[in-house]
Amino acid sequence: MEGTGAFAGARLDLILERMASLATESAAEGLSTMLGSPIRITVPRVQLVDIGEVSGRVGGPEQEAVGIYLLAQGDMPGHIMLIMPLDDAFRLTDMLLEEPEGTTTVLGSLERSALGEVGNVTASLFLNAIANATGMDIRPSPPAVMIDMVGAILDIILVTAGAIADDILLLETEFQGPDRKVEIYFWVVPAAVMALTQEDGS
Amino acid sequence: MTLANRVLASSGLSGGAPAALLGDESVKSAGLGQIVASGDPGDTLVAYGLGSCVGVVGFDPGTKVGGLLHALLPQHRPGEENLAKFVDTGIPRLVLEMERLGARRRGIIWYLVGGAEMLRMPGMTAQFNIGSKNSAMAQSVMAREGLPVRALDLGGSSGRTVKLSIQDGKVMVRTLGQGERAL
Repeated sequence: MEGTGAFAGARLDLILERMASLATESAAEGLSTMLGSPIRITVPRVQLVDIGEVSGRVGGPEQEAVGIYLLAQGDMPGHIMLIMPLDDAFRLTDMLLEEPEGTTTVLGSLERSALGEVGNVTASLFLNAIANATGMDIRPSPPAVMIDMVGAILDIILVTAGAIADDILLLETEFQGPDRKVEIYFWVVPAAVMALTQEDGS
Repeated sequence: MTLANRVLASSGLSGGAPAALLGDESVKSAGLGQIVASGDPGDTLVAYGLGSCVGVVGFDPGTKVGGLLHALLPQHRPGEENLAKFVDTGIPRLVLEMERLGARRRGIIWYLVGGAEMLRMPGMTAQFNIGSKNSAMAQSVMAREGLPVRALDLGGSSGRTVKLSIQDGKVMVRTLGQGERAL
């Protein structure tokens, strides 16, 4: 697996991946219920990614995208970001509001709040699963929905990570809607673990 | 400007790496924590998707040398090797790289772009006001170093892409929904 060598000895990546698997499954189940149709998820990957390369995962820094951001607060502080290209956000909104595909072409306050709710449900279920498995107290902040260039959205995560290192520890899963019409990247960047990893690894 | 560039500029075509897409070598992109500089009239220097990051653009019309810094954080952290990641150390470094290509420090015209507050969450402003800190640091370093700023487009809450054409020194800023405009 790409980029995990730096801390393979600590097995931190394996522990995280096991935990993340359970937690993302729980999050995807919640999202499936919310959408009324099954959401497929890819196996979560835990990777160290160069901060300059993160934006390339969602079509490059100038790609127009929607980011739903939440802060994990409590015993495991970190960032949670659901990010998707704008067209996928339109299709996701159609699904959420039970409209025919192609209805949503602008994201107004109703659409934004529906997307924020997706962030709320997935982040809460993800963090609950981690909390149940570890006994830690973790809560998500209210969601913030941003529509902008990928690079600009990512700055929020990268400023805190970039202050510590040139890489971030990124837990990445893709949520796929029915017929692969919607692809959402679900990212978790655990702040504390990231700092620890950097100290161990370098 | 090459034909490919002209097409890109007029269509407002977006996407990750349009230069690579069209096989055009003349677009040089400054990624996060990077500096690009050039004295080649065929080159366009770009920083894509600046959010809270600050883009510092310099152009010396006399020697036709330009440079662009894409800085992430306001202040250098002791021990950090990459000076271009920070506004305070990145700016002097940018001047140096431009001088290496023949630019004269006193002749350089400067532009500041970016430093937006991407996140408006109640109760979290203090944690996330990096955009304003970057903007303030950029302006104070320019003043300290005696570098004249001709124009700036700082703050707000939208991402920006900034481009400098080495041929004519023109600086263009693109924002989603508002298209591209000359700074």
